[in-house]
Amino acid sequence: MASVALHVIVLGAVMLSFSTRALEMPAEDSVPVDVISEDNLAKAMAGMKTGKKENPKPLVEKVAEVKPMDDAVGKISEKPPVVTETAPKPLPKVEEKPVEKKPDPPKVVEKPKEEPPKEEPKPVEKKPDPVKPDPIAEAIKKEEKKPPPKPVQAAKPPEPQKPRIVERHFDQSQIAALLDKRDPTRQAATGQTMNSNAALGLSKGTAADNSATWGSMFQRQVERCWKKPYGGIESQRPEAVFAIRLRRDGTLEGNPVPEGVPATPFLKVYQESAYRAILECQPYKLPEAMYEEWKYFAPVFKEKV
Amino acid sequence: MLFRPSRRQIISGMTALGALAGTRTAFAQRPKQIVIPEGEFTPLPIAISNFVPGTPGDTEVGMGVTQVITNNLKRSGLFAPIDQAAFIERITNPDAPPTFQSWKQINTQFVVLGRMTRQGDGRLKAEFRLWDVNTQQQLAGQQYQTSPESWRRIAHIISDQIYERLTGEKGYFDSRVVFVDETGSKERRVKRLALMDQDGANVRYLTKGSDLVLTPRFSPSTQEITYMEFGQGDPRVYLFNVETGQREIVGNFPGMSFSPRFSPDGQRIIMSMQQGGNSNLFVMDLRSKSMTRLTDTPAIDTSPSYSPDGSRICFESDRGGKPQIYVMGANGGGAQRISFNEGSYSTPVWSPRGDYIAFTKQGGGAFSIGIMKTDGSGERILASGFHNEGPTFSPNGRVVMFFREPGGNAGPSLFTVDISGRNELRVPTPGFASDPAWSPLLS
Repeated sequence: MASVALHVIVLGAVMLSFSTRALEMPAEDSVPVDVISEDNLAKAMAGMKTGKKENPKPLVEKVAEVKPMDDAVGKISEKPPVVTETAPKPLPKVEEKPVEKKPDPPKVVEKPKEEPPKEEPKPVEKKPDPVKPDPIAEAIKKEEKKPPPKPVQAAKPPEPQKPRIVERHFDQSQIAALLDKRDPTRQAATGQTMNSNAALGLSKGTAADNSATWGSMFQRQVERCWKKPYGGIESQRPEAVFAIRLRRDGTLEGNPVPEGVPATPFLKVYQESAYRAILECQPYKLPEAMYEEWKYFAPVFKEKV
Repeated sequence: MLFRPSRRQIISGMTALGALAGTRTAFAQRPKQIVIPEGEFTPLPIAISNFVPGTPGDTEVGMGVTQVITNNLKRSGLFAPIDQAAFIERITNPDAPPTFQSWKQINTQFVVLGRMTRQGDGRLKAEFRLWDVNTQQQLAGQQYQTSPESWRRIAHIISDQIYERLTGEKGYFDSRVVFVDETGSKERRVKRLALMDQDGANVRYLTKGSDLVLTPRFSPSTQEITYMEFGQGDPRVYLFNVETGQREIVGNFPGMSFSPRFSPDGQRIIMSMQQGGNSNLFVMDLRSKSMTRLTDTPAIDTSPSYSPDGSRICFESDRGGKPQIYVMGANGGGAQRISFNEGSYSTPVWSPRGDYIAFTKQGGGAFSIGIMKTDGSGERILASGFHNEGPTFSPNGRVVMFFREPGGNAGPSLFTVDISGRNELRVPTPGFASDPAWSPLLS
């Protein structure tokens, strides 16, 4: 009996505590998603020749730091024996360069004015390349001094004896030491000044399209006021298009401008019902950051297919 | 001939051009399109203010008209009239625009204002205006004069105006229904032909009840009814004029004639005639009284109904074994079966809109009312149960009326249902009622 009573109490408490909690819709993330054709993409990438020449800030995630150059020189001289033994050495060099450049090219190539910031990172990044120790040499060193993982420490003169032993002898237990411990090749975009925002729209390209975000917000708001006429099942796939201009506060700047003259009484009533809805539901709450996009657009009222 | 435009024509032409140019610039930039695909259908909120009396004696008729309009719009299922108790503004002058803000507050989209005035000549004047609360525009405004007894018709006509303006389709309120009124016990049922307004008011009896009457049908264009009556001998098809009360037998031929129906122009009657164990379809010209045979099969062909353009006929036939619906040209021949689902189909009737055929379907232990497209596709059952029968369309093809027998000792009664299958409502009748037939619009 006691256990039954306990169960009832616990279950009751759970049900009550669950039922009293209001269900809240999580805020929807702003994810601009739009499917565009290849053609559109090509156009968007091409930019406009007549566009205003702007000088956008490049994306900079961290300020470039200058690395010491001395060590590199010393180290390179000591390398040769290691180079001959392992193939990977030439590869990192080839790889790193293009990877480092990648973030820059689109911006830098288009903007000659941008040269100064671009030049700086280059020398800084190039120099470390030679400095970087051979992975194997590094691995060996780490075996001895386990705690220091930094590649900089590799620059210290290695002992000549150890490498020879390792060349000949394959020790399974030391495979971990052979792993490439270099820093990831993708590095933060560097520059003189920090700028964490990638440029959204440039005059030479098309503006960013966030219509999926504010469009669905507008849709949900206007639908609440839309009392569409009931045209039966066979109603003629009605559609009503308007052009509307909104102020920053979400109110209408003027009356919606309907596109086209409805052909039948039903289509007229349909258009009127949509017109009424647009008027009735203002002001619209839309993200202010995207005002430039929603200050003028065309809502299309139609039947769900 | 030389076309010389007047000054007015030139100005109006220029305005039109200006408007055109205006729209062009408005769309020149091709704004981003945002699709609004949802929008649930919801009954339109409408506030019908009491019609203001023109003279102190008109208060009652004013309220009566308001009541009838409210009831009509509510029963249609497409409107949600707002309770007068919620009104903030009391209308005293229906000629002035209402205070839109106070109507917006009670969430109505439309306001109906009106006035009823008994004039010096004894006639009744009715005025009404329909206002859009959001755009603050007058959508409709009309005035009528009539004899005081016809105040209900005025209310129906105003209802139709509102319905048409706000749904884009013709109304059906100013119409009547003829039906078979049934009184007495099940064994000694008296069946009389009766006529009433579509909302159940103004019931009139057209026959005395001494003879059995069945299948009354309204002419789609005139105020005439055709029906079948069992007199002393075989059942016969009769023609009855509602206005004059005149009655005549349609043709005089041996054997039984039944299930008559008018052609869309009201000039012909199509019906079944019994020949031995079979029956075939015939059409009779009401002027020349000439008969034309349309079918000649060793089967029972019955319940014919014309398409609204008069080019085709749908009917019921058991030529394939079970009763099914067939469609053929108006001159007969080339009949094609259109009903193929389970069960048997009977009493087909073509919608005045031309888009659907309503029927009674028997199967699965139930009698159902349904509609299908004229090619037999898109079948939809609107009502189902122990016994539902005899569908008839409203003049605008949006509503189907039928009768339902609950079984047991109770008798049948009339119901309406939207062709979407929603909004089933009982139609008030004085007694039991069956076999309804909807008239065309009176005006």
